[in-house]
Amino acid sequence: MEYSFEQAKIIGGIGADDEYWRSLSRGEFRLSRCAVCKGWMWPAHFRCAQCGAWELEWVEVEPRGTVFTWTRSWYAFDRVKERAEDVPYVTALVELAHAGGARVLGMFEGPDEVIRIGAPVRGEIRPPTAKSKNYPSIVWVPDPAVARAPWGGAAP
Amino acid sequence: MSQFRGKTAIVGIGQTPYYKRGASPDPELKLALRAIVAACEDAGIDPRDVDGFVSYASERNDAQKLVSALGTREVRFASLAWVHGGGIPGALGIAASAIIAGQAEIVAVYRSMAESSHQRLRVAVAQNDTAAQYLVNGLESPAQILALRAQRMLEADGVPHAAMRAMAKAAYYHARNNPRAYGRNTVLDDETYDNARLIAEPYNLFDCSRENDGACAILVVSAARARNLAKTPAYILATPMGMLAGGGALEENIKPYGGAGQIGVARRLWAESGYGPKDVNVLQVYQNMTMMGIGSLIDHGFCTPETAGEILQFENLIAPHGKLPMNTSGGDLAEGFIHGMGLVAEAVRQLRGESCNQVPGAKLSLMTGGPGDTMSSTGLFGTFETL
Repeated sequence: MEYSFEQAKIIGGIGADDEYWRSLSRGEFRLSRCAVCKGWMWPAHFRCAQCGAWELEWVEVEPRGTVFTWTRSWYAFDRVKERAEDVPYVTALVELAHAGGARVLGMFEGPDEVIRIGAPVRGEIRPPTAKSKNYPSIVWVPDPAVARAPWGGAAP
Repeated sequence: MSQFRGKTAIVGIGQTPYYKRGASPDPELKLALRAIVAACEDAGIDPRDVDGFVSYASERNDAQKLVSALGTREVRFASLAWVHGGGIPGALGIAASAIIAGQAEIVAVYRSMAESSHQRLRVAVAQNDTAAQYLVNGLESPAQILALRAQRMLEADGVPHAAMRAMAKAAYYHARNNPRAYGRNTVLDDETYDNARLIAEPYNLFDCSRENDGACAILVVSAARARNLAKTPAYILATPMGMLAGGGALEENIKPYGGAGQIGVARRLWAESGYGPKDVNVLQVYQNMTMMGIGSLIDHGFCTPETAGEILQFENLIAPHGKLPMNTSGGDLAEGFIHGMGLVAEAVRQLRGESCNQVPGAKLSLMTGGPGDTMSSTGLFGTFETL
């Protein structure tokens, strides 16, 4: 059977982001905005609170942004045990200024000294694995195109 | 000031011992009964006369399962606040509102949890309620998710790490004098804290609450009825629940991000009660994790990110003479954690003069609800003189 993320679908949260995962599984990074007033809406929802429209559109955006915050997990927590062998691992919340400041979670792969608030990163799309709960995922990596100076301080 | 202010009071508190998670000799339902009956004994009320039952999200011991063992004459009111730890003062507010509206006369508000008879609370709370965005990216526990918040507060907002340590040390210090406290044998000094194993950065073991098996219940009645009962009433002055625009279940996209999500409820707390941060004598601050407790203090106006380091020093946080004595039973970190409900009992004890770490003459007692929850609440209680 052909892969679809729905086979592994997790119930929880708002639940209007199916198209985000479908897009990732096609190798595309898309975020949602209102189809009428074009206001960015993240996480995706069912109604635009600005103009009242019920339609979303999914826009391909460059997966590039700055670290808004992050944590390094030192314990294999119950419901993410698939990552036990990777402990300690870093998860980053990345802000995309060009998508209305949407903040998107992803694993971070890079040197320890790089992970700082404000660090420029770019996203790489990875195929579904057990570690990502059989969902496709975005992994944030340092973005050498943006800066070589020490990270931190204001976002570029 | 509101029509709600001072119209009801907490008149009974009851608790089982704190057991190690999974080690309760009794199942949850029996623990709930024990706590409610103990609260009735404390107040001098016949358990059969309790006619209202209120808890907050993920409570599994509903009135329907309790009544035949309590001998309840009639259930007139039963309800649940939407959120988990964030909903505790809000649950008290539901109980008080029911009494003010004439829907019930004696309302029990309670939490019982026992991993020995049910699954782990942390798992139950999150079941089908954690967005894929988290689980796909290695995050599932509140410790991890609220670590994201804490890191931002440290790195971007400028709250010093030393403030987290002081919050943890104050809790464990108070637990030393509390025979009920599960963490009473732990001496938490700087070295022990600094060398503790990391859980999710910036949190280490001592920054995080423990889960215990146990139950806690309190009884709410009208102010008129309270005056004729055995114990000094703890009048409910305000218990606002809610959130501002920009909050909610937004998968780390809430605005503002730092803090506890309690700016709105704190503002209403002060407005409805007619008091402010400077008037409070003693605080029970819900700390799922230390930095979130600091977030509550910031949101309530006790300090700012800039002044947190100066104000949140160990000496200031301890009874009897600190300027901001808090978590005087040991709190969620060191007394034990039955989903925060033990903080209500301690807030009441302080107004009665019955705490193990009594703040002399305490008249205004604050209990903040679970910080960083998708919605939250906060509560202020006072003695008769504060009405």
